[in-house]
Amino acid sequence: MGESNSFRSQPDEQPNQLRLLIMLHNIGATESSKSLTIQQISEWTRMEAPELQTHLKKLIEQGYAQSFRSDETDKYHLTVDGIRKVLSLYS
Amino acid sequence: MKVGTLTWEFPPRVVGGIARHCEGLAKALVQQNHEVHLFTLDFPGSPNYEEMDGVKVYRASTELGHPNFLTWVLMFNHFLTKRMADVVHSVDFDVMHVHDWLAAFSGISFKHYLKKPMVLTVHSTEVGRAQGLHSPDSFSINGIEWWAMYEADRVIVCSQSMKNEICDHFNLPWEKVDVIPNAIDAAKYQTSVDRGAVRQRYGVGWGEKLILCVGRLVPQKGIEYFIRAIPSIAKRYPEAKFVIVGEGWSRDILEAEARASGQNRKIQFTGFASDQEVINLMSSADVLVVPSVYEPFGIVALEGMATGVPVVASKVGGLSEVIEHDRTGFFVFPKNPESIAWGVDRVLSDPDHAKWLTENAKDKLHKAYSWEAVAMKTVEVYRKVVG
Repeated sequence: MGESNSFRSQPDEQPNQLRLLIMLHNIGATESSKSLTIQQISEWTRMEAPELQTHLKKLIEQGYAQSFRSDETDKYHLTVDGIRKVLSLYS
Repeated sequence: MKVGTLTWEFPPRVVGGIARHCEGLAKALVQQNHEVHLFTLDFPGSPNYEEMDGVKVYRASTELGHPNFLTWVLMFNHFLTKRMADVVHSVDFDVMHVHDWLAAFSGISFKHYLKKPMVLTVHSTEVGRAQGLHSPDSFSINGIEWWAMYEADRVIVCSQSMKNEICDHFNLPWEKVDVIPNAIDAAKYQTSVDRGAVRQRYGVGWGEKLILCVGRLVPQKGIEYFIRAIPSIAKRYPEAKFVIVGEGWSRDILEAEARASGQNRKIQFTGFASDQEVINLMSSADVLVVPSVYEPFGIVALEGMATGVPVVASKVGGLSEVIEHDRTGFFVFPKNPESIAWGVDRVLSDPDHAKWLTENAKDKLHKAYSWEAVAMKTVEVYRKVVG
């Protein structure tokens, strides 16, 4: 490992998965009542749905996000660990 | 005295040390018969108002968002301001106390609106956290920090090294800054812990060593250097197990570092742990390593001292004021895996000396770091600005 993690990178240099996590936090998808559909997340983040689904699947596996089905649509929001991971950037 | 406190972190919204600091200080102020109204952000599962040991806690819900972090900060400050506006009509505050730049916009607004003095506690700086100013956001945060210190009537920091840092970096007048160290509630750490059960839970068997590292998984905590020290430690102590407690944005990078170390099966990342679980682990560990590269204070070292685990820490920032080398712990060089391995070896190779260190550490802790003392010193600062 080099020194690449020694400095906080700019948003457009962050891995897309972390960038997505940060964006979900900042747009307010932090609990089930504020969860968003793939389409809504895509509109905010300008990321395409297939890429979003890949990242969201990984974030859910890692315990940083969770999804549930509402009105036959999957909706997503961060978990408490996901929120803490984002806030660690700025504290 | 009636104190209005603003902070973006307050339990259960615990990210770093700010939440614990605000909780300890607020409760101690209430115990000394001051009135504390604390304004903070919401967190899943928390009420928008509650009283915690007499501290009136108001949580603001951020109803609007934006992908950009700084824009989001401005937005939550608006909602924090709105939450506070509900209260200021019925409470005549003597002083506003703002913690870090994140709540500064709201605090500065109320300072001018209410014509009340503002005290700012600087817990860390952007230039320190990011080890430089490498992005437009960092430059902007650095500017907000300067602005908040300029607007504040007095500035509080938790260590002499932080005072040196902010006076140097922001050209702040030396006489405007007060140093008040952090503290912990030592009684909380004096609980009976079943060490065997805790160690077993983390896969540490009888006769094996438990080497612990607790901190947010971010570069400033230097955990990468601890991981790089593990092969050397494992060579000398093949029975050692390594537990890394905390969550943070660089977790993926650190886990990759652990895989590359060749010792991955001995390394465990626990993620975020509750206060009680941290106490359990510290009480059960053989060594606590604090490998920070930037540390305004280093409250984790105090927590370790309170539980009686020998502490091996980088000689940086506030840590260099908390620990006395070879008397209450061991210092190692920052960013230096060989030095960390040396420190761990000093503890593990001489258990009697390690025990002596922990007894000295506990003694120092009780004398120097209590919330009662922190609250009294903070009130002295309030009195300077209230007049």
